[in-house]
Formats: sequence, C-alpha cells, structure tokens
Amino acid sequence: MRIEISRLTKTYGGGVHALNGIDLDVPTGMYGLLGSNGAGKTTLMRVLAGLLRPTSGTVRVGGHDITTADGRLAVHRVLGYLPQELGVYPDLTARRFLDYIALLKGLDSRSLRRRRIGELLETVALTEHADHKLKGFSGGMLRRVGIAQALLADPRLLIVDEPTTGLDPEERIRLRGLLTEFAEDRTVLLSTHIVEDVAQTCRFLAVLVKGRLVFQGDVEELVSRADRRIWTVTTPGPAPSRGRIVGSRPDGGGTRYRILAATSPDPSAQPSEPTLEDGYLALMEAGR
Amino acid sequence: MIATMRYEFRMQIRRPVLWIVYGLTYAATVATFGSTYVTLDLGFGEGLASKTAMISSASLLMSLLPIVYGCLIADRLIRDRLLGVAGVLDATPAGRTGRLIGKYLGTCTATAVPLMLAYFGRAVAYAITEGEPAALGWAVTLFVTAVVPGLLFLGALALAGPLLMPVMLFRVLFVVYWFWGNLIPATMMPTLSRSIFAAKSEYVAYGLLDYGSNLTIPPNVILPPEGIVYGPSPGASLNFLRPEATPAVAFLWIGVMIALAAAVLFLTRLHTIRTES
Repeated sequence: MRIEISRLTKTYGGGVHALNGIDLDVPTGMYGLLGSNGAGKTTLMRVLAGLLRPTSGTVRVGGHDITTADGRLAVHRVLGYLPQELGVYPDLTARRFLDYIALLKGLDSRSLRRRRIGELLETVALTEHADHKLKGFSGGMLRRVGIAQALLADPRLLIVDEPTTGLDPEERIRLRGLLTEFAEDRTVLLSTHIVEDVAQTCRFLAVLVKGRLVFQGDVEELVSRADRRIWTVTTPGPAPSRGRIVGSRPDGGGTRYRILAATSPDPSAQPSEPTLEDGYLALMEAGR
Repeated sequence: MIATMRYEFRMQIRRPVLWIVYGLTYAATVATFGSTYVTLDLGFGEGLASKTAMISSASLLMSLLPIVYGCLIADRLIRDRLLGVAGVLDATPAGRTGRLIGKYLGTCTATAVPLMLAYFGRAVAYAITEGEPAALGWAVTLFVTAVVPGLLFLGALALAGPLLMPVMLFRVLFVVYWFWGNLIPATMMPTLSRSIFAAKSEYVAYGLLDYGSNLTIPPNVILPPEGIVYGPSPGASLNFLRPEATPAVAFLWIGVMIALAAAVLFLTRLHTIRTES
C-alpha cells in the first residue's frame, strides 16, 4: 500500500506550522520517520491516520484521498494505528478492550474475534494478564496492548507512533521483530526519535525537522552523510575541543570519544565506520 | 453503534459510584419526603387507583434522582479525550456519529437502570401488596411516556454540556438548572417549571391519563372553579410556555423532549467535527 504525499501543510490555530510543504512517497514495507521532539512526526502520523485534516496539499493512501470522508473511511478499513499517547478504558480488561476495538474495526464474528484476540495477546506476551483490568497495567504492558489493538484487523497499513517507548530491551527487540515480519507484504510507518529502532528495522526512511522534510531515501544513504566524518579519540585528558562528541565511554585509564567532525579533531584521532545515528547527526549538523 | 452502546452500557453500569450516589440520593429523598416516599399507598390512603398511584410514583421519581442521572452522565463523552482513547477509536471505520449515538444510548440506559429499579420495584411491590397487577402495566406506560422523554433530553444535555466547560462546573450548573427549571413553583420567578420545556413534567399524567380528575381530594380542600388542571399558573410569567394539559399538548411535550435531545446531539456532533481539525 503506497502513501503519496504532496505539498502537505498543517497549520494549527495560532499560526503554528507543524508541517510545511511535505512531499513524500512511502512504498510498501517498513518505513521509518525520524525527527526530534516537535519535528512534526506525530502531526504527520495523525494526518495519515485521518485524524487531522491537512491545511493544504494532497495525501493519498492506497489511492484513497485522505481529505475526503470516503477516502478516510476506506483508509480506516485497512489501518492499524498506535498513537504516541495510547489511552485505554481503565476498568476494562485487556481482553474486553481488544474486543471493543475489534468490534469497531468490523470483526463481527465472535469466534473470529476471540481467536484473533487470543493470538495477539500471545504475540505481545499478555495472555496471563488478559483478564486483568487495564488500570493495573504498567506503561510497557499498555504499550503492548496498544500494539495488539493496532494489529487486530490484520491491517494493510500500520502506523505506529513511538511504539517502543516504555518497553524494556527485550520487549523492544521482540516488537522490532514483529513489525519487520508484519511489514513483509504491508506498509508499516514507524515514527520515532530513537534512531536505533529505525536502524534495526527499516530500509527506507525520512527525516523531519521543524515541520520540513530534510531527507528521504534509504538507510545507507543517510549513513553515508557521516562518511569520513566519524573519529575515535582515546585520551586521559579533556575531550578534544573540535567536532561534536556523539559518544563517550571509559576506556582503560582514559575516555574513548566518538566525534563527528569534517576533519580530524585530534592528531591521535582514528577514522571510524559511521552508524545511522551518526548519519542522522551529520544531517542535523549540516542543517544548522 | 451497537458495539459502542454495549460497551458504554457495561462500563457505566459497573461504576461503583453510580450505585453509591444513587443510593445516597435515594436515602436523602426518602428523608426529605418522609413516609410519603416509601409507603406503597403514596400517602393517599386506601383505595387509590393503580394508575394514580403509579403517576404519583413517577412524579416522586423525577424529583431529585434526575440530578444524579445528569451528573453521572456528564463525564462520559469527554473522558475519551481525557483518557487519550479517542485517537484509537477515531482511527477505526466505525463512524463517529454512530459512536456518539451508541455512547448516548448505552450511557443513558445504564444510568437509568437504578431509576428503573426504584420505580419498577415499587410498582411490583404495589401490585403484590394491593393485589393490583394493572399497576405493572401503568408503570410501564408511565415510564415510557412520562419519564423516558425527560431522561432522553437530560442525557443529551449532560453528555454535551461538559464539551463547553469543566465537568465539575457543569454538574453545579446542572443542579441549579434542575431546581430552577423543574422544581421551583412557577410563581416564584421566571422559570421553565411546569412548561413544555421542563424535563420533569406532568403533561402526560394530566393530559393523557386524566390524573387531575382521578385524585381523591380531602373534603377540607377547596378546588378552583376549573378543577385540578395542569398548565398556566395564575400570576406566573412565561405562561405562554404552559398550555393547558390536553392529549395533544402531552404529545407535544414528548415531541419537544425528543426534538431537544436530537438537537443537542446534532450540535454535539457539529462541535466534534469543528474540533477534529
């Protein structure tokens, strides 16, 4: 399911430009959306989910114009959506909450709902808590309930906004695997400010800065933005003053610094292989 | 709509506060009205026709308990937004209008259950102790025609009001509205009491069921020349909103209540459309 966005803008009351002339093409498969807090990721996700009307521009999801009521309905029929701030009804059990959402998604057959909910609770490792009220759930458990509800109707398009927030490392890895597997023949749009999540799951990504799209392409291309600009320096003294320190850890008697710099920041500096995070930071640096 | 109705009913009926507040208010009502509220002959003594008894029972029911009804409904619509669940619900193919109606019907029905238990419990007890099974039929008729229309309007009002103001403020204003618009004597100040816009109204009782002529009047009470009527109050303002009770006016009152409920829900939907963007 392809998403085509053209000259999309979203301006909130008070003249806040959350999105500014976005042109983006999202193919089938896993697609990452990176950006700092306040970059406009959530606004873009909400527009794509049909929850916010764009101020201008066109958005077509699977050929459906999201700005029309019919288009939104068509998209909602194939959409799984996990918002950044997932709310639940605290007095419902996980199973009941999922049953309610399943009904709203058109899963009318009781036996089908029961089977699907059972499968998903198993997938997100919540089977033993299925009949507990949601008000007793931790943040990570609620996140997993959110993921389960997004997958209920076997959506062709899955929009997940910061899905790994609140998950422990094991759960995070499990979720990444689940999303990657799910994205084999579907579109999964993963919005996050955690670069590692995109690095581990996506081939293509886009980067938003202050409502503008500053990059779209494949992961290698973004990584290459930091080619020959990542250096490692180990020193017992103060950090080199040149370049931007992107990492540091104790090493022997000194500290090992990872530095983003156009030229060698120190005579002892060794060139290093860049990561996606380095590429992202290089992109941000270039934009300043 | 059906799914939302089902789940909203389930969530509302299981709220402990629903039963606690109704219980306390019922107790306060009994304390206020004294034995009149609890005795099955409704204070009129022996020989009261079952229809008249059920009309009196409905009138007592609609005295204070609707305040609880409105206050308990008040947080239901905005809580989807407050809990943060609206985004997930809105991203489903279930239409928002259908969900609004489902929420309205499910919540209002659940909130009316304690009212129904109080009313029909009394009707059953009356039917048994007085040997008057017809009371059950009258109870159903009265509830549907004289109680439900008012509750439909109150439910819509309570659901929508907190979209415009904080829930607690709405609840305070709702209590004020209830006393001003439904309970105070029409001669005290300009009010909707006894008018076709009052949710607590006797138009069905007097206009359709001929309540006034069925009353047993104590011998020392002097009736006005026109007898016991419901409608214009001598000396009251806004009497143009208080036509004399007739069958047509009773149906008009039912229609007004339903129309007001529909209008409030329509405006609520318009409000949500406006705030969607």
